[in-house]
Amino acid sequence: MAVQSDVIDDAGPYDRAKALSAFKLGDVTFYWITRLSAISVLLILGGIIISLIVGAFPAMKEYGLSFLWTQRWAPSADPPVLGALGPMYGTLVTSFIAMLIAIPVGLGIAIFLTELCPQWLRRPIGMAIELLAGIPSIIYGMWGFFVLGPFLANTFQPFMIRIFDGVPVLGAIFGGPPSYLSLFNAALILAIMVLPFITSISVDVFKTVPPVLKEAAYGVGCTTWEVVRSVVIPYTRVGIIGGVMLALGRALGETMAVTFIIGNSFRISSSIFAPGTTISAAIASEFAESDGLHQSGLILLGLLLFVLTFFVLAAARLLLMRLEKKAGN
Amino acid sequence: MSELSVSVSAPSVHPGSQLLPEAPAKVTARNLNFYYGEHHALKNINLALGTNRVTAFIGPSGCGKSTLLRIFNRMYDLYPGQRATGQLLLDQTNILDPKLDLNLLRARVGMVFQKPTPFPMTIYENIAFGIRLYEKISKSEMDDRVEKALRGGALWNEVKDKLNASGLSLSGGQQQRLCIARTVAVRPEVILFDEPCSALDPISTAKVEELIQELSENYTIAIVTHNMQQAARVSDKTAFMYLGELIEFDDTSKIFTSPTDRRTQDYITGRFG
Repeated sequence: MAVQSDVIDDAGPYDRAKALSAFKLGDVTFYWITRLSAISVLLILGGIIISLIVGAFPAMKEYGLSFLWTQRWAPSADPPVLGALGPMYGTLVTSFIAMLIAIPVGLGIAIFLTELCPQWLRRPIGMAIELLAGIPSIIYGMWGFFVLGPFLANTFQPFMIRIFDGVPVLGAIFGGPPSYLSLFNAALILAIMVLPFITSISVDVFKTVPPVLKEAAYGVGCTTWEVVRSVVIPYTRVGIIGGVMLALGRALGETMAVTFIIGNSFRISSSIFAPGTTISAAIASEFAESDGLHQSGLILLGLLLFVLTFFVLAAARLLLMRLEKKAGN
Repeated sequence: MSELSVSVSAPSVHPGSQLLPEAPAKVTARNLNFYYGEHHALKNINLALGTNRVTAFIGPSGCGKSTLLRIFNRMYDLYPGQRATGQLLLDQTNILDPKLDLNLLRARVGMVFQKPTPFPMTIYENIAFGIRLYEKISKSEMDDRVEKALRGGALWNEVKDKLNASGLSLSGGQQQRLCIARTVAVRPEVILFDEPCSALDPISTAKVEELIQELSENYTIAIVTHNMQQAARVSDKTAFMYLGELIEFDDTSKIFTSPTDRRTQDYITGRFG
């Protein structure tokens, strides 16, 4: 008893203001920690941009804007001639084809999983999708090189070439000699790689559609397809486009798998079965042996990828805003 | 004391209901049973919804009112493990027939839900959407149909200047009337209301009730409600359900003034539920 009362005496009367001031200090600390974390993002981003610009400056001074529309890439010529047209073309074309394939397939899987799939099949498919996202990109590259490439060159490409032979435009797109290493091969691999992004995000947002809203649509007599097209997808379009953007970002920047299977040719060919290169593949395959103006040109390519990605994402935002407007929000 | 409370809390019945003659049956249930997996949710329901009459379903939560409503348009079909047995006829059509075209059934039996469920599109499209599922009509014809439906939903005057605004921009009461208009637009024969006013304020509730009265001239209506006054105001017949059974089914005036079953009386006087 005596001991206990001693302790209480030592502590003195309970001071509420003092206790609160301790909390206050904690609050201020918390505020600054979170604020610094947020600011650090800006600093890192700014730092990367500045170092890219500094590194790319010699090449910018040498080639100016003509870097953008020069196709020739001859770093060992004297003086070296460097142009970004080939890699830019390859980046955009592979990403475009990849999205063309991955968006419908990814959405299809998501619709099947949320609306049609029997319960027992849901988990296996869901897990397979997640595993697909977990495979390292180098494995995709090897698979594309050893399995998909030969298949495309021996079977698929001759078939397409024969079908479209002599057809204007399409004949040029699918023409040319079959090749293991091609833009199309890279685009297919990219499509497989970004599929999990589109599917898993779509599944998540499809699950947010209130069941009663779907019942209401079924209630006026919609079929499952009509419910999905007119209610589920419009209701979740912001989330879906977010997933597609994430996938597009990945496709534009993917390096390792693409470097393996794209062929690293800077020449632009009308055929998607011809080898090509992308910005990231060009940097990855040449950076280690580059110096001087060549290296500066590669850094400038990196800066271009940065800008390209920014513009593509900005365009997507714009599209989203226009969609919102059209829907009357 | 207890005698007094009965007479005070029994709601007044709308005057016209006693005068209506018995109507031919639109929907007939015979020995209808319903199961959620193993759970026996509805037991031997026998009743008939009169053509162009309003039938109210009352009873404590979980008694199976909404479940019964969801059988009328086979909404339960969306969920695995739910099944109905017995007989349920819409005119001469067997609603429980597994080969029945559900889309056509749901066009004949429309439903309005507890919460307003406007589709994520414009007000105009919310109405036109349902019509387009069944009919190919010209733009001007569609304009007419949309206007007619919105007038039918007592909403036209409030939205005629903003048909291209999102359906979600309307207030709760307006959204609910939009949903009613949407249901009416596909020209159903039966309209099911599942607690249509439980998320609405009193003024919107009054409007929806008035609307239900008007609709009963052309449609067979079933309404589930927790509000006894509402059941008394809008319905011609009332069904009292308890623990999955249909306890009493009779003219609304009879149910609310002289129920035969003790449990019905206890419920409408607020002694349990």
